Amino acid sequence: MFNNYKFNTNLMRVFVYIVLVIILIVTVVPIWLLIVNATRSTVEIQQGISFMPSTHLFENYGILLGRGLNLGRGFGNSLFVAVASTIITVYFSLLTAYGIVVYNFKGKKLFSNFIVVLVMIPMQLSIIGFYQYMSKLGLTDNYASLILPLIANAGSVFFGKQYLESVVINDLIDAARVDGASEIGIFHRIMMPLAVPGAMTMGIFAFVAAWNNFFNAFILISSIEKYTLPMLVQTLRGDVYRTEFGAIYLGLAVTVVPIILIYALFSRYIVSGIAMGSVKE
Amino acid sequence: MNQASLKRNYYGYLFIAPFVIAFLIFGLYPIYNTIALSFTDATLMSKTGNFIGLMNFERLFADDIFMNAVKNTWLLWILNFIPQVGIAMLLSVWFTNARLNIKAVGVWRALFFLPNLLMPAAVAALFFSLFSFYGPVNQFLVRSGFLPEAMQFLQDVTVTRSLVIFIQWWMWFGQTIIILIAGMTSIPLPLYEAAMVDGATSTQMFNRITLPLLKPILIYVFVTSLVGGMQMFDIPFLLTDGRGSPSGSIMTNNILMYLKFSSSKGHIGAASSVGVLVFFMTSICALAIFYFLREKDSATSKSAKR
Repeated sequence: MFNNYKFNTNLMRVFVYIVLVIILIVTVVPIWLLIVNATRSTVEIQQGISFMPSTHLFENYGILLGRGLNLGRGFGNSLFVAVASTIITVYFSLLTAYGIVVYNFKGKKLFSNFIVVLVMIPMQLSIIGFYQYMSKLGLTDNYASLILPLIANAGSVFFGKQYLESVVINDLIDAARVDGASEIGIFHRIMMPLAVPGAMTMGIFAFVAAWNNFFNAFILISSIEKYTLPMLVQTLRGDVYRTEFGAIYLGLAVTVVPIILIYALFSRYIVSGIAMGSVKE
Repeated sequence: MNQASLKRNYYGYLFIAPFVIAFLIFGLYPIYNTIALSFTDATLMSKTGNFIGLMNFERLFADDIFMNAVKNTWLLWILNFIPQVGIAMLLSVWFTNARLNIKAVGVWRALFFLPNLLMPAAVAALFFSLFSFYGPVNQFLVRSGFLPEAMQFLQDVTVTRSLVIFIQWWMWFGQTIIILIAGMTSIPLPLYEAAMVDGATSTQMFNRITLPLLKPILIYVFVTSLVGGMQMFDIPFLLTDGRGSPSGSIMTNNILMYLKFSSSKGHIGAASSVGVLVFFMTSICALAIFYFLREKDSATSKSAKR
């Protein structure tokens, strides 16, 4: 009887591992093919599938440059937008969250409930009104229109609030007040260092979101010198590149590899961040 | 002291001021502006449009393309959401099962989540290349004898739709696993131990303990996925020609809005009305789900306390 139970468990375990491996293959193979094909020439790609990298990386880069697609500049633009977005999001979200957590002002409850509602409201659907308004202000084709709205990043404030509630130490703040520190000084010098792990999580999400953002950039940015990577990716589908498979894969790989590297370094922050956003206490 | 702390609490307003100001400028006003534009015939060429009442909305409801886009968006979302939660639930149960004792759960979970972080625009372009006429999928299928000759996958309605659904599933099931595991591990173990003593089967335990206690988290997954799904753009836009081809089968709400916006005259009035309608459709559905299921949930937890 007991042996039978054990046997069934083992059989089940084998079955589970087989399913997991199949799903893993489905998950990873497209990404691996993308990275490998970026290093293969178009001829090699047409000859057949291979999971081994080849030696045509720079050749492919040359083809892209030759067709007027400046991958390096796109990378720089994306990096600038993503880093600026990250800094703005983290600083202002922590500032707002700190205000909610530490002070008991009138309307505080209402304000924090309002933020939860804002998280649920799809802002992307107000993009047309946003575009017209930005063009009146002369901010279209300007990164400011992508970055400044992040001062009011509701999702990030919500996360920040959850996080600060678990790390804020009121005694420490009071002690600093006795020592004559200003309120904003306390936030900068005492709160920020304490909040580093939470800020990391927040920052990684802000970076990835900005790096991957296609729709807003596609609508707001128009001059080619300012194109970010997702916009360049979109042009890769054009006829000019129809037969240059290696170059296309390289263009795609450049957008994906930095994110994979960030993930490899910081995956625990990301996993804990997602779990924390959904499970309260 | 009390006086001082009361005064100090005004600093709260200073701390939230940047958020409030930025929200008014970049959040609230654009929403108002979009709604206002949706009642006009404004174009990108004209500085201000004429007020035309509900005409944009009447046109949309009479427009097969719009109705088709709404239908497609729901179809693509629902058909990705069901297997997404189903498979994520199955894997999460396996990962948290003490008897199975799966090794390196963290590693599996981290790998399954990876596609979620990749740029959707690049993912769409990748699958476009993989499934193109001369792409690796055709190569593989022809050489191994599954297909007599290469196929134009992306000109077939069913294949293209399935591909969009697959990509959405591929990008999101890992995130759902992380959320569900977090929810399942927060359920107190003694509940299961007591059930085991009473001789409950694992199916019974799942139905009577795991599922009810997971409900708030499932609502969260449901609502966030719905809000995201109704805005689906990058994947269907970049997988084919950006007009929902073949034959409008993957035309979504946001693609239609973009097409109206980018048409030669730039009908931002009409584009806004698409945005506004989808905005209300999504918000109403999300709030309804939230409200409806929340109420029931607090009622059951009250009766459980008694």
